[in-house]
Amino acid sequence: MSAALLAAIAAPAAARSLTSELHELADRLRRVTVRIATTGSRFDGVGAGIIWPSKGRAIVLTNAHVVPPRRGDHLVVEHEGGRRVEARVIARETDLDLALLALVDAPNEWPAAADIGDARSLRPGEILVALGHPFGVGGALSLGIVHAAPGTDDSWVRADVRLAPGNSGGPLATLDGAIVGINCMIARGLGIAVSAHVADRFAREVTSR
Amino acid sequence: MTPTNRTQSASTLRALSDDLTAAVESASRSVVAIHARPRIAASGIYWRDGVVVAASHTIRKEQEIGVTLPNGTRATANLVGRDGGTDLAVLRLDRPPTDAVALPAFASADALRVGALVLAVGRPGDDGVSTSLGVISAVSDRWRTWSGGEIDRFVRLDLAIYDGFSGGALVDADGRVLGVNCSALARGTPLTIPNATVDRVVDALLTRGHVARAYLGVAMQPARLTNALTERLRLDDPRGVLVVMVESDSPADRAGLLVGDLIVAASGKTVAEPQDVAELLGGEQVGAALELSVVRGGERRSLTVTVGERAPAGEPKRRGRSS
Repeated sequence: MSAALLAAIAAPAAARSLTSELHELADRLRRVTVRIATTGSRFDGVGAGIIWPSKGRAIVLTNAHVVPPRRGDHLVVEHEGGRRVEARVIARETDLDLALLALVDAPNEWPAAADIGDARSLRPGEILVALGHPFGVGGALSLGIVHAAPGTDDSWVRADVRLAPGNSGGPLATLDGAIVGINCMIARGLGIAVSAHVADRFAREVTSR
Repeated sequence: MTPTNRTQSASTLRALSDDLTAAVESASRSVVAIHARPRIAASGIYWRDGVVVAASHTIRKEQEIGVTLPNGTRATANLVGRDGGTDLAVLRLDRPPTDAVALPAFASADALRVGALVLAVGRPGDDGVSTSLGVISAVSDRWRTWSGGEIDRFVRLDLAIYDGFSGGALVDADGRVLGVNCSALARGTPLTIPNATVDRVVDALLTRGHVARAYLGVAMQPARLTNALTERLRLDDPRGVLVVMVESDSPADRAGLLVGDLIVAASGKTVAEPQDVAELLGGEQVGAALELSVVRGGERRSLTVTVGERAPAGEPKRRGRSS
């Protein structure tokens, strides 16, 4: 039996259940998060994307700054387990830092889309988690809290959570696994995410065209 | 895992999250925003009836200071006094607020434990309260800040002190206040000034308008005697503190201390660094006699200095180490 497992068994009940709950939450978020690797002349990096609900076609929502600048450009999204699927940029909104990708050939067993929550009901201090690929590390979990209740402009979520390049485009989620934001930048140490309702409105507008 | 198990484990994390939001909500009733500098507002805590504690370095004006109360209304306050040494300032609200703000629940000093889960709660503007989560990373004994303040315990935090968080509250998971957060006392390291220190400074500022700080009127630097001289003078330690400046008409000047004197003991205790002398100069020492043993011209001699009181300091500014 490994030392880690022994330690887990010896841990107090509350800490043990916290750990297993976080583990389960990370697994759940990994199922709806993809890795977006872009290579090109001026564009080279790793970001994240979220498998977003949509009637009909399989779409991925991410940050505009994660994908190539032109609509119609192709790139590859990678799901956990290493499955790679080709995708195409179908819309980009730089003001909101959002982009929508459609899978060129959605595989039959493509995972179900993420649950979308509402950032407008968040309370300061509420626990949140972020999932992404900080510095290229795949599927990494970060734990944090809501920094402040949404202000007059509820388009952004401010979270006290440690993000890094590679978290961009990935989910910021509540303990229920509901996506409340799309992580997009770090401002003076604070994690900033686009509110899920803003992202959802964008996705609906694009897909209903 | 069965659905029942899942609900139970989910509830542990959920319960923690609920505790944290409740703690923030409870503390937010006592945390105010203070508009006394350009650009971003800073935080303050409603510490006693009509009295708000803030971080001195965030206060750039003395009158008509705008204060945003937890219910969003604006009040005005005046500066009662400030202590650059502990970076604390005390403001008095012009009109005692009714139910717009509440006194916080205070935690006892035992709650300052390494590993304790804590929240920093600030109000850096009119946009509501904001918070960050972390742990107390170190707690040690009394220390003296570089600007001469005496702080009962050094409480270092592993959490983010965001812009405008200075003057805000460190609270435990029950929302009880552990101290006032400050990032200006230790080169940006987030730390908390414990309640006991804040109470002491508030008492001093409310009664005298300033915190008494003992003063000799010398600038010192560490120095070392030769081995031969150390042996001849029968000293245990070759180290001492060299007097590099004596202020005119200061207590040190009046006692006959000269530039070039090497202080090797004070009040019978060996002195190796300027800090050792500073340690002996608590606010309660004002007026007391301090026995200094110095080496001058290769000989030991004894001098008695009557400790003076330093003129009240303004907001913290860098200056040489002098006591």
